[in-house]
Amino acid sequence: MNKKLGFLGFGTLFGFTLSRVGASDFDLILGMFTGRDYTLVWVIGTAIIVGAIGMQVLKRTKQPVKSGEALKISEKKLGRWSLLGAGLFGIGWGLSGACPGTVLAQLGEGKIYGFFTFFGMIFGTYLYARLKEKHPSL
Amino acid sequence: MISTILESIFIDPWPFWAGGIIIGLLVPMLYYFYNTALGVSTGYGNLVKIFLPARHLQWIKSKFPETYSWRVYFIGGIILGGFISSVFSGNAGFTAEMGSFTAIIGWPALAGAVYFFTGGLLLGLGARMAGGCTSGHSIHGTANLHISSILATIMFLIGGFISANLIRITLMGGVW
Repeated sequence: MNKKLGFLGFGTLFGFTLSRVGASDFDLILGMFTGRDYTLVWVIGTAIIVGAIGMQVLKRTKQPVKSGEALKISEKKLGRWSLLGAGLFGIGWGLSGACPGTVLAQLGEGKIYGFFTFFGMIFGTYLYARLKEKHPSL
Repeated sequence: MISTILESIFIDPWPFWAGGIIIGLLVPMLYYFYNTALGVSTGYGNLVKIFLPARHLQWIKSKFPETYSWRVYFIGGIILGGFISSVFSGNAGFTAEMGSFTAIIGWPALAGAVYFFTGGLLLGLGARMAGGCTSGHSIHGTANLHISSILATIMFLIGGFISANLIRITLMGGVW
């Protein structure tokens, strides 16, 4: 299957799921942090466990990748500023009640404030690109 | 029978495990089909290239040679999925509501716009500094037991705990 069309399909499944399970709901994200509603903690926890089991199974199969090439798991490395960045990300997560994936589902649902989170994310990424010109360690 | 199944898929809110299982399965499925890691936030670099005058920036040039890569299609799909969900559950269309933010805080629209833009800016900048977001680090990385992703996820949660509780105590009067 064409990779781009495939990702359009998987993205649709992802967005539909995020929306149906309430991950695009401002109150559920806020509630996950304030202790009012732990639904999304259970969603993320289940996803991690299922993902971990799935990866272990995949690694043990004869042909883990459909095309026959070797499985290439990408591991993210932490730089000097990564954990500070992760903290900033978290603050943004709690403020906007969204993350880079769920804000997209919010757009599809027509939540107008979600568009401002979305534009903010594009601008924040642009800011990173600008800052990185002068500070390559970022 | 069939209408009950359709209702529980398209209309009723899902139980947590249904969402968790599907999202979790995306990790091995994307490896099986495309040998590719689940991740959303890197695609915002493609959006920068599309929407802002940034083609001269070194990072954009080297990391995003193909403007309309699979990442843009993935992003488009997530938007489409949210739209389909809202259509079938009968909530399609634009809304200015945002849960307790609009119900309790009740700021004027412009202040709300600045608030959410600021939150988004921190998400965008922070995700790039951290090298990933909730999907890439917290779900994909943690499921693969990568220490870097577990550490990043702990920092995500600490940051979110601080800001969400500050909002609850200051702007929502601690009632929510």
